[in-house]
Amino acid sequence: MSLLGILKDPVRGLSRYSDSIANYAIALASILTLNFVLPRIMPGDPFHAIYGDEALMNMSPEMEAEIIRRFSLDSTWSEQFVAYLSGLLRGDLGYSYFYGIQVTDVILTFLPWTILLAGLALVISTFLGVMIGIESGYRRGCAIDRMLMAGLMFLSGFPHFFVGVLFLLLFSVTLGIMPLGGSATPYAGLTGLDYILDLLHHLTLPLVTLVIVQLAPTYLLSRNTMVTTLEEPFMTTARAKGCTEAAIRYRHAGRNALLPVVTATGIHIPRMLTEIILVEIVFSYPGAGTLLNNALSARDYPLIQGILLMMTISVLTINLAIDFLYSRIDPRVRYAH
Amino acid sequence: MHTDPWGHLTGDAAGLAGLVMIFLVAAAAVIGPAISPYSPNGFSSDIFSPPSSDHILGTDFMGQDILTRLLFGARTSLMIGLGAAIVSSTLSLAIGGTAALFGGLYDRIVMRFVDAMISMPTIIIAILVASYIRPSLPLLIALISFLSWPEGSRVIRAQVLSLKETGHVRAARTFGAGWLHILKSHIVPDLGPILVAIIIQDARRAIFMEAGLSFLGVTDPSMTSWGKMMHQALGFSYLDVWKWWLLPTGFALSITIMSLSFIGSALETALDPRLRRSKNKIVRWIQCSRSKA
Repeated sequence: MSLLGILKDPVRGLSRYSDSIANYAIALASILTLNFVLPRIMPGDPFHAIYGDEALMNMSPEMEAEIIRRFSLDSTWSEQFVAYLSGLLRGDLGYSYFYGIQVTDVILTFLPWTILLAGLALVISTFLGVMIGIESGYRRGCAIDRMLMAGLMFLSGFPHFFVGVLFLLLFSVTLGIMPLGGSATPYAGLTGLDYILDLLHHLTLPLVTLVIVQLAPTYLLSRNTMVTTLEEPFMTTARAKGCTEAAIRYRHAGRNALLPVVTATGIHIPRMLTEIILVEIVFSYPGAGTLLNNALSARDYPLIQGILLMMTISVLTINLAIDFLYSRIDPRVRYAH
Repeated sequence: MHTDPWGHLTGDAAGLAGLVMIFLVAAAAVIGPAISPYSPNGFSSDIFSPPSSDHILGTDFMGQDILTRLLFGARTSLMIGLGAAIVSSTLSLAIGGTAALFGGLYDRIVMRFVDAMISMPTIIIAILVASYIRPSLPLLIALISFLSWPEGSRVIRAQVLSLKETGHVRAARTFGAGWLHILKSHIVPDLGPILVAIIIQDARRAIFMEAGLSFLGVTDPSMTSWGKMMHQALGFSYLDVWKWWLLPTGFALSITIMSLSFIGSALETALDPRLRRSKNKIVRWIQCSRSKA
């Protein structure tokens, strides 16, 4: 059942995904509840917990009154919860005292960098991982396969942000051929092609780090599927028919190696999130991870909550999309686990 | 599942290397702090001193002996790993096992909860909760365990479900064995290898999560942690101190996590015979020569 199928027959289409949609709905509700409950069960005044002590020092009595009114902090919990939810529906995530603007506006300035970095890393690492996995699985047990296995296993053992730290120390601190951080040279006044080259120069190290750490799981999975698929009887049939080696490798065996990669990508998305947050911090890349780091060290609680909520919603949406995709590429599965 | 995980582990080069590395880290964590003359939190005026006979790895920005902090950090990491692995795998075993055995409505409710937990990005909940409570070691173990048991419980449930239908369990039932007896002498022993794999996985994830949370600065500030040391050292990467501050800490964390990955993947190969490399030389020769064509 594809997305198109759902549009044609919404009731039947959606009921197939009802279980996974329910899971994501429960997950989202839990995060929203945590966001709401945590500041309110902290010892002391919830007003202090929501905004943090640092923020209150810079607040006028009028602002305090305005916030109490907006969060309905003088009313019961159920009324506060309704106020909180209706605020979220209007896209109101609160006010960031650290940046002095609305949380939504802060996040929107940092988010494009994360999307650029994370999107490129995901595409490149998946493509490379599957290709190397197919080639390596096809040559299972040979020298090149063993070398790739050992090398990538070794790399994947490192904590990913430390891989980033090593790159930073080698290429930026010692050799000085790469920038120390940021997404562009500040105040350089570059335009056109020079600006794009400068952006790529800053993007290289964080991107390479992310690709390297995300490559290993995709590679291992497609290699292992490849190895097991090559033992199947239909491979012998393909050989007996006189298929070329390339057709056997990619059309018969390789396509089967794609399937678990799609599932695994869904499972790995939350883990990639950790990788992106930490790698961005290492390279001070101005994305959502660095913003989270700033918010955590400034204890800007509305901003922390806003970023984490935004990340949750993106992860859940991507996972739901992958569930749809999975049932489309594997006709045997109606319900994707 | 009658395999010999211990034999595979010590027979496999990576598995053996993993065992040796984790043993070394554990030895350093146990012995190190006892013989170090410094306190991990006792600061002095002697800041950023390079390695010398007094301070083997020099001192950091508060004049603390880096080697001592490294050894105490090993203690924190291993305690988090061990504590979270024990609590989390016990929860997995209890909840996944009972869901498979009792079935019915209980199974459906529990598994719905487990599925919802698995679809949640746990790191976000960890950061969110930690940013408010700044957890100390026991709280951190509780938080990480609470977030990591659902995946293990799924594996345990699937395994118990299939074990319930195996020949020897059916045979025992025909002889009139009670459920408790079957559980004790047939199901739990066969769960052994998979449970060990889950424990290793939990420990690895917990150590990594603690390092990540401390790197973000949302754990108890008085806890000596590798993650926090790396974050502090990264701020001074323009000085030469990273050579004896950032690198040793990063490698200590890497060795610990890597040893557990090696042990984990050696166990995985032991549990899934299809992943083993063909020992038959002729088969391997055919595979290699064909791919060259």
